[in-house]
Amino acid sequence: MKNKIKTYSIERKQARWGLLFTIPCLLFFAVFSFYPIINAFFTSLTNRQALNRTSEWVGLDNYVYLFTKSNGGFSFGNSLRATLEFTLGTFIPMVVIALLLAVFLMQLRSTKTAKFLELAYYTPAVLSSVVAATIWMILFDPRGLVNQISNLLMNTTGRDFGWLVNSNMLQVSTMIVYFWKYIGYFVILFITGLAAIPPGIYEAATVDGSSRWHTFWRITLPLLKPTAVLVSIMAMLQCLKTFSTQYMFTQNGAARQPIDVITMNIYYTGIRNGRLGRASAMSIILFLIMLVLTYLQFSVSKTDDVEY
Amino acid sequence: MAMNRYIGKVTVGEVISWIVLIVVLLFCLLPIAFMLSASFMDAKQIMAMPFDWLPKKSFFTSEGRTFLTNFSKAIHGNNNNNMFFRNLFNSLLVAISCSITTVLLASLCGYGLAKFRFRGRNFVFMSIMATMMIPFEAIMIPLYMVASMFKMMNTYAGLIVPFLVSAFGVFQMRQYLITFPAEYLDASRVDGLGEFPIYWRIVLPNCTPVVATLGILSFRNQWDNLLWPLLVSQREEMKTIPQYISKFSEEKQTDEGALMACALLASIPMFILFFTLSKYFLGGAAVFESRKG
Repeated sequence: MKNKIKTYSIERKQARWGLLFTIPCLLFFAVFSFYPIINAFFTSLTNRQALNRTSEWVGLDNYVYLFTKSNGGFSFGNSLRATLEFTLGTFIPMVVIALLLAVFLMQLRSTKTAKFLELAYYTPAVLSSVVAATIWMILFDPRGLVNQISNLLMNTTGRDFGWLVNSNMLQVSTMIVYFWKYIGYFVILFITGLAAIPPGIYEAATVDGSSRWHTFWRITLPLLKPTAVLVSIMAMLQCLKTFSTQYMFTQNGAARQPIDVITMNIYYTGIRNGRLGRASAMSIILFLIMLVLTYLQFSVSKTDDVEY
Repeated sequence: MAMNRYIGKVTVGEVISWIVLIVVLLFCLLPIAFMLSASFMDAKQIMAMPFDWLPKKSFFTSEGRTFLTNFSKAIHGNNNNNMFFRNLFNSLLVAISCSITTVLLASLCGYGLAKFRFRGRNFVFMSIMATMMIPFEAIMIPLYMVASMFKMMNTYAGLIVPFLVSAFGVFQMRQYLITFPAEYLDASRVDGLGEFPIYWRIVLPNCTPVVATLGILSFRNQWDNLLWPLLVSQREEMKTIPQYISKFSEEKQTDEGALMACALLASIPMFILFFTLSKYFLGGAAVFESRKG
């Protein structure tokens, strides 16, 4: 009896250490995550400005403003459009091609070659986004390599595709930069997912006379569905936060309008123009969009696991 | 049940997959090769049609250029204020500090969550997970106001403090440490080691793979960070490398060679890390996948 009480108290003592170990992180997140998001919410209900330090309660005026007014030519509606188009235009090709590449890599006979290709595809991810944007800006120059190669492929001569001038092409250009930088990363995510599928299943399929194509559609893809959904949502979340590429492009003379993604609009409205209240309202909307997606991600990853 | 079709000894599928693999390989590597060779060229050769992949010797001798002209321009900067090394130092300092603190704080917290049963543990864990849903981009305006309130503008504290630890790091550490054998811990307790020394001398040294992965991830995030430094660092000597490149490219738009040299120099630290620790870079994705479980 006595003994039992003693062990109990030792465990209690130990448990206290556990709480103690988590306190530094808890404090950090309280100050640098929870407080700011609450603060952003309340700031979004004021007309706070950086310069004249006013801060009056305006209710939902900022939100109404964002959806009805032009915000000095760079409306929030346009930012939503730009972000949505960028996200869809980047993450769908990225996920599809990353999946294909991962499947192809897994089928290579030599693991050495597969490892080399993996590493090579991943190399652009090592460069910082600013460097990536800088390289591609030069490649997209009217006299640059991309125009030369496009002319070669399209069998035209001296045609300028206006990569940084035409507003549609400008959007495509930012997508290409992003795709280039992150493709390797997503290939590796898929390879991890594929590696978890036991090889016995493939062997059984081969014995049964299934072709590669058939195996891919009927076996690999269904088993990979949870990974694919998860990776897609991750890629979407990543794309929604894009900033550096668009910022670099506009700083170097590209038009802001077509590629004015939400984060860039927050930056310009809040920091450059000092409209903190209005920028906070944008932040809250961005947060809500990402919250829904993250919620989806968590619920998918919980329920959709495959058992072998 | 169509069987595979063959061309000679290889299947059609194999030929197609090789073509795709090689096209993407070129797409991934050519821009990097371009950066390498263009950093030795002058603007005229970079914009030559058709593009010549090897820097021509004649360009080094013309107009007083040498092999390293572009690099010296990149280092001297626009108005010869030599901020390159200062900004490189800032970036390294911020990235290294953040990766060290992330590893330490996240492992401590992850260890507490994985191996101790205290009241409210689930609540603590869920709150930390909840912060993963708050993107930095959504809270940068309030953080900016806090930073200016506490006079953290243009200081290292301002650059480092918001990134001391990440919720994702805590999560990774917890997942890894859940499988840490409890016998080691109990044995150390019997040997009379205190709880903190157990963490410091038994737990931390035994989770090298996850420490390396997390450290690299955090280093890379800070090395890549442009948005936050744009907000808090306005003084030249407090800027980081992404800001340096951004400014350099605004002012040197026509000197592509110097720009590429600048980009190349700024990438060297990451390349060194990548080629020495590539398994942890690639492993990072694997650990990320554990988020599924």
